[in-house]
Order: sequence, then C-alpha cells, then structure tokens
Amino acid sequence: MKMKKFINNPTDLTKELLEGLALANPETLEYVDRKFIVNKHLENANRVTIVTLGGTGHEPAISGFVGEGMVDISVPGDIFAAPSPQTCFEAIKMADKGKGVLFVVLNHAGDMLAGNIAMKNAKKENLNVIKVVTQEDVSNATRENAHDRRGLVGCIPLYKIAGGAAAIGKPLDEVAQIAQYFADNMATIAVAARGATHPATGDPIAELNDDEMEIGMGQHGEGGGGRMPLKSADETTEIMLEALLKDLDIKSGEELLVVVNGTGSTTLMEQLIIFRKAHKYLAEKNIKIVANIVGETLTVQEQAGFQLMIARMNKELLEYWNMPCNTPYFKKINSKGGNL
Amino acid sequence: MQEIGRKGIKNLFSITADFLLSHCNEFNKIDSKYGDGDHGVTITKICHTIENHVDNWEENYSIKKFIENLGEDIMGVNGGSAGPLWGTLFIGLSIPLANEEKLSIESFKKMFKSSLDELQEITLAKIGDKTMMDSFIPAVESILSYKGESLEEMFNSASEAAIKGCENTKDYTAKFGRAKNYGDKTIGTIDAGAYSISFLFQGFSKALKA
Repeated sequence: MKMKKFINNPTDLTKELLEGLALANPETLEYVDRKFIVNKHLENANRVTIVTLGGTGHEPAISGFVGEGMVDISVPGDIFAAPSPQTCFEAIKMADKGKGVLFVVLNHAGDMLAGNIAMKNAKKENLNVIKVVTQEDVSNATRENAHDRRGLVGCIPLYKIAGGAAAIGKPLDEVAQIAQYFADNMATIAVAARGATHPATGDPIAELNDDEMEIGMGQHGEGGGGRMPLKSADETTEIMLEALLKDLDIKSGEELLVVVNGTGSTTLMEQLIIFRKAHKYLAEKNIKIVANIVGETLTVQEQAGFQLMIARMNKELLEYWNMPCNTPYFKKINSKGGNL
Repeated sequence: MQEIGRKGIKNLFSITADFLLSHCNEFNKIDSKYGDGDHGVTITKICHTIENHVDNWEENYSIKKFIENLGEDIMGVNGGSAGPLWGTLFIGLSIPLANEEKLSIESFKKMFKSSLDELQEITLAKIGDKTMMDSFIPAVESILSYKGESLEEMFNSASEAAIKGCENTKDYTAKFGRAKNYGDKTIGTIDAGAYSISFLFQGFSKALKA
C-alpha cells in the first residue's frame, strides 16, 4: 500500500512526535535534551525507578507510558530503531535516585545490543541497575528457547506491575524479581491482515494479499507464523488463545491479565469484538480475566492486525496492577476511588 | 603505497562515505525483504557522521583520537543494531593505536584484528549466520594474512573477500536480527548488513586507488 500520511520532513519524525507528546502532556512528562522522555516527578522519586528503551513509530508505546507509577525514563530511538547505548547509559544514571534502577529491554537485536553495552558501562561505574528482558512472543520459538522470542506488547503491563511494586517501596532486587516472574508468566501472539509502511522511506515492510492474514507476525509485520485465508474475529481469537494457553499451560481456575493490542489500523470496534470472544472462550474454560487493556498500546504504522497477550496473575501481582498510575496513555485511579 | 598520513586517512574515510552513500537505497531495498527496510537510513546517518568528523578533524587530535571519537559518534546515531555494531567496529580500529602520525600495513593489521575482537565481544554471530560478520570476518582474515607491501593491494583483496563473503550469505539461513524469524525463507537473498560491510571495504579499496 502506498503511504499517505500527514508528516513533514521524514528525517524529523522522531523529534517532532516526541515534541508533540511533551506538549500534549505537560503535567506528566518532559522531553529532556531531545533524547529522553522523563517522568515530570522523577526528581522526588524516593524509590526504585524504571528505565526502558525502544524505537519510535509504535505510539503510544513506549514513551506514552512515562509518568507516575509506570516508566520514569524512556529512551526513544529513531523510527523502528534502537537508541544508542550511550543514551541508555545516561538515562540509567539520570534515573537513579539512590534506590537503584530497573532497566527493561524488549528482545529485539538492536535493543539488546544497546541494552547490553549500556549495562556494561553501568557495571563499570558500579551503578545499581538490574536488567529484565521481555521475550514473550510464542510464535517464533518455544518457551525453552525464550532467548529467541521477540518482546511484544507484554512490556506495557510489565511496566505497570513493576511500577506498582516500586511505588510501595520494594527494594530493587524484589522489584526485579517481580518483573522477571511476570515476564516468565506472560505470552503474546500477533496477527496481521495488512503490513506496515516505513514512514521515513514510504515503503511497505511486509505485504499480504487482500484475502490473507498471518498469525505469528512480529512487531513490524515481519513474518514467523503461517499465512492463511482471512478468518472471522472469533475464529482468529480462538486460534490465538489456544496457542497462548498451551504455551503457559494455563489450567481451569486460573486468573489472567489479557491485553488486546491494536497495531495501527484495526479499529476499536474490532478490538472489542475480539476481547468479547476472549472473555467468553476463557469463561467456558473456567479461566477468569482479572485485569485487561483493550486498545492501541504498541502499534506499528498502519498495520492492520492485533496482538493478544495473556499473563498468569495472582493476588500480589493484582495489587501492583491496581496501584494508581498517571501516564498519558494509561491511568489508574486508586481503587478506593480517590484521586492520585 | 605502504603508508598513509592524515591527508590520506581523510581521503580514505570521505571517499568511502561517499561510496556507501550512493548505495543506501539498495541497502534499504534488501533490508525491506526480511528486516525493516531502513538499513540504508542508518548507513546514511553513519556516512554523514564520517563526513562531519573528516571536515572537523582538528590538528591537535591524533589519528587514534580521530577514529575513536568517530566510533563513539557512530555508536550514537540511534540506528538499531547497525549503530552499536559499526560504532564498535570503528572504536575497535582506534584501540591499538598510540601516537602514530601515519598508518602502515602493520598498523591496519593490528587495527582490524582489534576491531574483530571488539565486535566478537558484543555479538555471537559467526560465518554462516547471515550477518555483517559474513563479510567482515573474511575481509579481516584477508588483511591479516596479507604478505605484500602495498596498501592498495591489501584492501583490494580484503574487498574481494568481503564481496565473496557477502555473496555466500545468499545460501544461509538468518540466525540473528528480525530476519531470523523468517528462517529458511531468507535463503536466496543476501544479507543487508553483509552487503553494506562489503561496500565499506570496497570504499577503502577505491579510496586507496584514487
């Protein structure tokens, strides 16, 4: 599909979108040194802080989840590209308010290289930082080969859970353990019906025929799964949920967090129809959804499709999930109904 | 030619950057098949960084410092994997240098040996994994085994080794990066990273002949 978008000079995309994000959310976050998106209240954070990194072009992820209760600093790269290792290292230094830093990296080659080099520098300076990698895509490797799995939308609820644990004053090693447990108990699968375009080049990234879909696609519509004729929302959801439940070996009686993540040009109507089916399907198996996100969370330019993510929940994780947070694209008021 | 001084090094880098720049659209095209289609976007940024450093090389900056700073800035281009990998490659070149005012065949040998060592510290990719290492490793091996006395000849052989290594990636299944998710479907297409690295050596070779 030929690109048709309201943009200016392709080389300024990242800078302009981050400026826009900061201007739209002056109470919540700041665009610092044209390099970092920073929680406006970071200076007063007497707790573990959270740093993450990743390419832009996936809005609202990841910088849209910066704010109280989730991410303290996001290090945005250029469109679909990881930021530099030096910038990540600077962010870790800037984020540390004396209680240490949780550094969340999604498993993609560039992000991992930048993250690993940044960690090497941080260790050299004895910074108190622990890295957690998200790698929950069930479609491109088995659970035993998790190091080969891509990190998809699961990072977003993970920021929330880790942010909740940090907010109640848990020390860094415990926050990291909680984040790691959540990471180990989540699974995501993606489907695409139409590929994305690269907004800097205008070229399509992956192309699908009009009557096809592909389950198991990566973040930018890169393959990995199987192409098949386009199916209904219910049929597609069922195929995807089956793969997720099997991967995590979810049994009757368990409680789940479920995310339906639209990837850019699948409508909220479609996403709600998908969530409805997931809810019914799980209820029939006596599996309860105790937390959810339905909406566009981690997108890619005009890709039609969605990611379905589940995570095994327990009372403790649910407590962190329910802690208040205030970021541009995810807010939670405190469960007693008060303000933040 | 057995050695080059500052002027020669400036030429070496700027002609190479020019040459790489003229092929960035091709890098995007190859990358769009099994990657994001933006490898050329990153190489463009790297080339502009090189040009910038060549234009602003201050007299009091040693060759070592020049290449080291250049490497640091390349690592900072925010370009996915290619930024850290190319940055490490260049920083690696600077590590064994001291206060040399000229670079000889021996200098280049220790520089590329160091560059390979540094890269192997951050990536596990080896020959056959369909990455930039498929052209970088044979090019460096060719440099290290060179017995003659001509820089032109040394880089000409390295460039041929890199091209051959890149062509071989056609037969491989991708093991790293986004392309690995396509598995055997990647057979038949060359790797974009190996391709751009082959142009780095071709650029060096071209620059030395100029």
